[in-house]
Amino acid sequence: MRRITATALVLAVVGVGWAVALHAQESRVGGALTIAITEEPDTLDPQKTGAAVAADIFRLVGEPLLAHDFSNRVVPALAQSWEVSRDGLVWTFTLKSGAMFHDGTPVTAQAVAASIERALAPETKSPVAKAQLGPVASVEAPDPRALRFTLKQPFAPLLNNLTDSRLSPVSVRAAEAAGADFGRAPVSEGPYTVKEWVSGHHITLARNPAFTWGPPYMHSGPAYIDQVTYRIIPDSATQVAAFESGEASEIAIPPHDVNRLLATGRYQVFKFLRKGVGLFLEFNVTREPWNDLRLRRAMNYAINKDVLVKVALEGQGEPAYGPLPPSIWGYWPDIVDYAPHYDAGKAKQLFAEAGYTQGPDGTLQKDGKPLAFTLFTAPIDTWTRSAQLMQAGLRPFGVTLDIQTFEFGTLLEKLKKGDQQAEFMGYTYNEPDILFIWFDSQNIGSGLNFSHYADPKLDALIEEARSTVDLTKRAAVYQALQKYVVDQALWVPLWINYNYFALQPGIADARIHPDGYVFLGDAYLTKK
Amino acid sequence: MLLAVSALVFLMSHFTPGDPATIMLGANASAADVTRLRHELGLDRPLMVQYARYLGSLLRGDLGHSIRSGRPVAQEIWERFPPTLELTLAAVAIAAASGVLLGAAAAVSRHRLVDTLAMSASLAGISMPSFWLGLLLILLFGLVLRWLPIAGGSSWQALVLPAVTLGAQAAAVLARLTRTSLLDVLPSDYVRTARAKGLAGLHVLLRHALRNALIPVVTVLGLQFGTLMGGAVIVEAVFARTGLGLYAVVAVQARDFPVIQGIVVFAAAVYALVNLAVDMAYVALDPRISYA
Repeated sequence: MRRITATALVLAVVGVGWAVALHAQESRVGGALTIAITEEPDTLDPQKTGAAVAADIFRLVGEPLLAHDFSNRVVPALAQSWEVSRDGLVWTFTLKSGAMFHDGTPVTAQAVAASIERALAPETKSPVAKAQLGPVASVEAPDPRALRFTLKQPFAPLLNNLTDSRLSPVSVRAAEAAGADFGRAPVSEGPYTVKEWVSGHHITLARNPAFTWGPPYMHSGPAYIDQVTYRIIPDSATQVAAFESGEASEIAIPPHDVNRLLATGRYQVFKFLRKGVGLFLEFNVTREPWNDLRLRRAMNYAINKDVLVKVALEGQGEPAYGPLPPSIWGYWPDIVDYAPHYDAGKAKQLFAEAGYTQGPDGTLQKDGKPLAFTLFTAPIDTWTRSAQLMQAGLRPFGVTLDIQTFEFGTLLEKLKKGDQQAEFMGYTYNEPDILFIWFDSQNIGSGLNFSHYADPKLDALIEEARSTVDLTKRAAVYQALQKYVVDQALWVPLWINYNYFALQPGIADARIHPDGYVFLGDAYLTKK
Repeated sequence: MLLAVSALVFLMSHFTPGDPATIMLGANASAADVTRLRHELGLDRPLMVQYARYLGSLLRGDLGHSIRSGRPVAQEIWERFPPTLELTLAAVAIAAASGVLLGAAAAVSRHRLVDTLAMSASLAGISMPSFWLGLLLILLFGLVLRWLPIAGGSSWQALVLPAVTLGAQAAAVLARLTRTSLLDVLPSDYVRTARAKGLAGLHVLLRHALRNALIPVVTVLGLQFGTLMGGAVIVEAVFARTGLGLYAVVAVQARDFPVIQGIVVFAAAVYALVNLAVDMAYVALDPRISYA
């Protein structure tokens, strides 16, 4: 009799506890958030856009095969497990069961394969799919939950690239039915659907109550917040004002306002290290005077990065020493010691070794020609200030620098053609494969190899890094790569900035994800 | 005139460095992909052929499709024009009302305190950059006083600050012009006659003096309309309003030729219509003017 009572009591407690927990979860559902964004995406068809803002929004609208957890490891998302063949050519992903597209059709392996084929099709003109998927030869669905990629050669970045929200599967059936309007109301399988898009004003997402196939770091179940609106506010001062008046729930804080908002103590402020080198000086090695390695090395000793961080970034960042930041996997920590630091004496010595002597007016000269060059840059606030500081800092050495600013689209055109002697550039990426994009010789002229540097030895190292699937071995190759790039002094890496987000109080359980966004999958409003 | 405008904008946008296919496909694209897209978009045909095709579609009312979004240009423009029109009209109304009022008050009380104050306000209005004024108003009315929304929607309250910001400069110009014009007209014979007849000062002002003084003012207002449409770009950006102005800037940055051309031709057409309306207004103001 006693045992029955005890069991019944335990069951009752468990039952009540479960009901309370369920109620607590359910009572979190509701409310609306407004996130300020600076520009409107061109389209929300993830396979037709290269825009970062579209990728940001699609983090809520889609759910890719894989995700990065908060320690930057690749973890399951839509795919629950995966394996690769010994030769690195065949990747097989097992999909979770029960996943549905927003239109109610099931997310089968066939549907996902069709989506990937659409991404790779020439008619789609996707700006990112080919680069992300690399040497994919074919995509098949041997059974309803098995998705198989066959590659032409091993491609190590594949797993990291499959975490990109723009590779989330879309319903090809819905895409064909909607035609050009699919970009305004895409059908994917993420925690939110696209409810409304008022051109130039806002995009509103609505909660998907059927969503249960999120990554392991998210609670199992649909998101709590009912509605997320992306409000387009192009001016950063207006964004801050809208945030402070309560009209916006989340903003990316402009650097000037960070300290002020922090000091109010009223808001949740998140900070993360940019996943990319925020600013570097890049030399066009095919043009004088930067075809001389000694001169490039001298510049690496002549520029004071700490001053740039302190003044141009107002302390909100750290100096960069190599082509990768600490926030991207594959970063070699010892590069801080290996790479050049500011050293006026060493710089002067290297300028002299390169054959430059001080002229009568204080400028460095060689064969009667002064050491002067033009720096191409874009009208980005922190870049402009860094350029001016660098200009002033180089003058005592006798180096004359002219700053020329171009609108970003025009700048990219000129850099591809090699019009520049040197330029400022920065990037954001989530994979060390960015080194392929910047340094492989096949990217000269049509891609981003703006240093126009062609070196078979470097190409071979890059190729090896891309095809080594074993993580330890791959990391070792990237270490060699970073060393090589520093040795060739193709860049003077300058700084990596911190990015800050502010959130209104009353939004609980929002977390900063190292990929550079505020993760809202578990977030809920404490007062609706 | 529209033909000339369309030719000019076509040439200017195509000669600007930057290629929409490259921008669309992103920096990672292979040369082969870019070439293929340029061919699909017809960008590799000779310029004259491209222009001829464009003109043909234009005459049929087809403004083409946005390279960036794939949607018809006409639809993109049509969605964004009403808010810009609303803003411009509100700004014109505010500029006209406050400018003429201020100018008239200044002229009537000439050289006294009201005149000095009005002209100083006018000077301030001409000198203040709209960007700065807009942010100042946001700070004061949106953040400190909390009377008006900052990044509002379509309510009339959301229109107030942007319209005031946009209209401020035009109001200042109109105030000065009204004052000068009125001062020219007030000593005239017919005004003295009206006063001699025993008509009240205000009646004289409104029915006789102002009507004649307003002719140059209306002309300038018509010309200002174009400036206002252009100034709408900045105001739309600062106040986060949907509009054609901001959209034009985005299109230029993306080298979205069909959109750029579409907007400019559309704006030119609107401007032409406005000046037609101004010409009509002359007839109402001065019966001596008529179009044979």
